[in-house]
Parts: sequence; structure tokens; C-alpha cells
Amino acid sequence: MELVEKTNGEVTILELNGRLDSNTSKILEDKVMEVLGQGRKKLLMDFGDVDYINSTGLRVLLLALQQLKKNQGRLVLCSIKDYMKEVFEISGYTEIFPIFPDQGEGLKGFA
Amino acid sequence: MPDSVFITLDNRLSELDRLADEVERFGEAHGFSPRTTYQIRLALDELLTNVISYGYHDQERHEIGVRMRLEDGRLAIELMDDAAPFNPMEAGLPDLTCPVENRRIGGLGIHLVKKVMDRVRYERKEGKNLLMLVKTIE
Repeated sequence: MELVEKTNGEVTILELNGRLDSNTSKILEDKVMEVLGQGRKKLLMDFGDVDYINSTGLRVLLLALQQLKKNQGRLVLCSIKDYMKEVFEISGYTEIFPIFPDQGEGLKGFA
Repeated sequence: MPDSVFITLDNRLSELDRLADEVERFGEAHGFSPRTTYQIRLALDELLTNVISYGYHDQERHEIGVRMRLEDGRLAIELMDDAAPFNPMEAGLPDLTCPVENRRIGGLGIHLVKKVMDRVRYERKEGKNLLMLVKTIE
């Protein structure tokens, strides 16, 4: 998995790429902790180039959400590929994460 | 590609990449939708990650067998391993209605397997774990 970090005002954008699984999820976990450590509290994760996620990847998202909530932060997801959306639903994640179709909409989600 | 394939893996997590490639090839050859192929990959990944990570209590090499057979629009998958007896169908499930702050981390993998497969059946047979999964192919 690769990861590109950008900022847009107060929002930190993480553009993820590749697979989010048992081998790679730690990269995202470490990055989330780093961003939190810098006191940034608005995080947008862009899944546009993610082609695979498993429960380890999903677990890292939940951990990130829990950490952000503890610090009055917010986590927004966007651009999840259609074929993976159902797995977010059956994980109960569509109830707890704001999910938007693209980055533009995702940024508006912080307004 | 034939309607049936048998793949053997070593009990190493890196082997799961090879299995994922095989599933992708099988799905492509038989015209599975991206959703179907992804869900099959996911189920095998979740089940075998558990077996490889927690099922063996020695340092030996063990073989895991995976058979996929497509018949009448249904994919039947069999997983065979000689790991410690473990019936994933009896594992505790996560409470997905619990508030985020208290939501327990874990148990999600097996939940996903049950949801994306139409049928999951476990047997312990001749010292081996045998898991039979069925998925209807759209």
C-alpha cells in the first residue's frame, strides 16, 4: 500500500493506494497516529485507488475513528469502490463513518 | 481454465498473495463480477489468516489445501488443514450496534465470511479441519 498525505485548510487528506490488509494496515495506523500527534483532528481518507480491504484494514479504520473521537476529531471516508461498499455495510461502518462519493464531497462533509 | 482447481499452500501468510492471484485468475476466466471475486478473496483471506496465525503450535511446515469447484452457477470451496481444531462458526461475533467508543475490535473477519458466503459448514475429519463454503455466482 502507498499513501499520499495532503492538506486542505484544517483537513488532512490521506490518499490510499493498493491493498489494505494484514501486511499493510500498520502503515496506515502509524500515519494516523503521526497525524494525531501533530494535533490535526480532521482526517479525510480517500479510497479511490484501494482495490482490496480485509478485516485488519477495517479494524485500523475503527481504531482511527476511536482515537479521533477521543480528541474531538473527525474522520471522513470517500471514493470507496462500488464492489467493496457492501463489505463496509455489513461491517456496520456505513452507520458510523460519513462516506462520500469523492474527495470534493468529502471535504464539504467537514463544513 | 477448468471449472475446478486445487491449490496447496504452506502455512505462511505470504502464501495468501499467491492464493489471491489464483482467485483473481479463476474469477476472470469464469466471468465473475469484481464484487464476487473480491468477496471470495476476502473470505479465504480471513479464514486462512486465522489458521496460519493461530492454528499451529509448532514451527514445522504444514500444508493447506484449497479446492474451488464451479458447478451450476455455484462456487464450492473446500479448505483443508491439519491445524488445531477450530470451528470458526462457533466464534463470537462482534456487536455491530454498540456505540463507536466502546466497539470491540475483533471478531469482524468471521462475521464477514458468514455474510459474503451463502453457506459455511465445518467438520473435523481424520485429524483435519474441513471448511466447506458455497457462494452463488451472479
